[in-house]
Amino acid sequence: MPLFGKQDVQTAATRAPVMTGFDTEAWELKGVEILQLSFEVVEGPAEYLVPPALHPSIPPYAALSVARVPTSPVGPYMLAQVRLVIRAGIRPRAYLLGAYTDSEKAANELRSRWGFSINTGTVTLQSRHDRIIGKVECNGQTILDMELENPEQISGADVTILDGLHLARVVEKGKEVPLIVQVDPEYVFHSAQRGRPRLLALPSDAWGAENRLRCTNPMHAVFCRCDTDMPKLRFAMDPTIPVTQGGSRRLAA
Amino acid sequence: MKFGIFYELSVPRPWDKEAERKVYLNALEQVRLADELGFDQVWAVEHHFLEEYSHCSAPELFLTACAMQTKDIHVGHGIVICVPEFNHPIRIAERAAVLDILSGGRLEFGTGRSATWTELGGFRANPDDTKKSWDEFVHCLPKMWMQERFSYEGKYFSMPSRAVLPKPYQKPHPPMWVAVTSPGTELDAADRGIGSLGVTFTSFAEQEAKVKEYRRRIQNCNPVGGFVNNQVNTVNFLFCHEDSEAGTKIGMRMIQHFNYLAAQLDMAKEAVPTKSYPTAGLLPSLRRQASSPGEQAKAPEGIAVGNPAHLIQELKKWEACGVDRVSFMLNAAEIIPQEQLLASLRLFAKEVMPAFAESRPQAAAGGGR
Repeated sequence: MPLFGKQDVQTAATRAPVMTGFDTEAWELKGVEILQLSFEVVEGPAEYLVPPALHPSIPPYAALSVARVPTSPVGPYMLAQVRLVIRAGIRPRAYLLGAYTDSEKAANELRSRWGFSINTGTVTLQSRHDRIIGKVECNGQTILDMELENPEQISGADVTILDGLHLARVVEKGKEVPLIVQVDPEYVFHSAQRGRPRLLALPSDAWGAENRLRCTNPMHAVFCRCDTDMPKLRFAMDPTIPVTQGGSRRLAA
Repeated sequence: MKFGIFYELSVPRPWDKEAERKVYLNALEQVRLADELGFDQVWAVEHHFLEEYSHCSAPELFLTACAMQTKDIHVGHGIVICVPEFNHPIRIAERAAVLDILSGGRLEFGTGRSATWTELGGFRANPDDTKKSWDEFVHCLPKMWMQERFSYEGKYFSMPSRAVLPKPYQKPHPPMWVAVTSPGTELDAADRGIGSLGVTFTSFAEQEAKVKEYRRRIQNCNPVGGFVNNQVNTVNFLFCHEDSEAGTKIGMRMIQHFNYLAAQLDMAKEAVPTKSYPTAGLLPSLRRQASSPGEQAKAPEGIAVGNPAHLIQELKKWEACGVDRVSFMLNAAEIIPQEQLLASLRLFAKEVMPAFAESRPQAAAGGGR
């Protein structure tokens, strides 16, 4: 049997957002720009970032992203995410370690309705002729600085953005319990570019990863323009029980 | 139709001192029995770093052991990764020739390019280049075997004039194949006059159309080697038991374990944006069928698990599609105890093989043996 994660879920859950319910309405998000970089990470420490219900992928890697959302029900916002690619049973997913947005309104909604572990900060995405730069600053510190160098056009069909898994707290039978919710947006790509990934700053403490997220081997960088959504929630799972042992449940059709 | 066996050599955790040795020794015992029972080929993959899923990184060594312990069964090097970061083509040609000599001309030579980031990234190979380097290698390897001396200036390797030695025992060289996972690779095989070693599971209608197109296209091929290997081989699972329910249950447990282990790997398509890997290879089709280890499910159409009558029925469908050979995966993570697996092989040989004894002759044009 593949390795399972070793995260202390109870401790991790104390930092997780409290969700108000699962029957949230979807947001349609048009004209979104996303910069995503991937790096392999050091295996041993990363296992402690993965809940016991999930498998680290072989090899484990992180997906770092910065997105510009020009319109939404709460207005425009920027969203940066640091996620660890894992397996929920046989399915590849990206487990959210931490997120930042520049909009307090968006933060509140993303936290309570989709279980984002999210803070506010200055999130920027700059497109230059020779590179695309994603940056996050919080309390005067740069907590993410990454670039896609030498962009070249590719097909949107070649881009993969994995569905997210978010650790949250929900109230069930009068008791607050940790739960992982799956956030699985659809994407319609209008354009895409790829290039060389370059990571200049990622202090893992700032992303709820203590000192356990150490990026190593660069994998890819993509930048795309797409229509997407914040979907209705469909699945949730117990962070301590593997899906193979009945840890997942359907929330909506 | 001919039958073979196919090894990934998957090793479950915990990896104690004996774990890998046990898997290898069990496999060798199975190969010896398969040879006695009349199976035609044993294939072994080349995979690297694929934890639990495949610990078969030096297949030429395993296959040499197979060859030295058997009389008739062909040894299928399936596949050799034709990417320079993994294997230099001169070394591929040399090792294959030695294996052909030691086996007395029983080598079947499979080629391919790897489909996982786990492997490509491990060797720091560029996924964009693997199809191109494969093409260069498959054009050069037969020349290394057939020409006394060979020289080449290419994109992925170059060499001054040298005699690549030894030469294979089979003349002009062993039959060549390519692993087909991405759509269209079967046509690349046809255009080059090499066999199609299908390792994806598709519907029969789709398979039949692919075989038909392969046969049509290979008539006008520009062969890379000294002869055309017009053959289609497909990969399947095997567990044969007198009791249909027991056969299906045990066979499906193996399949679910295999699928589960395969799903843990980082496929190139998912990990990096590249046109070179238009699909995730084996996995999407597996995931459609897969659920989880231990979960019981009905055997999908075309899968050879169950009782002999069911296996004959399913394999006849493959035969009707025009497939020349089926190679079976026998175990995954040692989920099937060795005695049970050997009994499955014996039952298959006794009850199923005879139903295919009168099949049409293989379609190979020429042939190395």
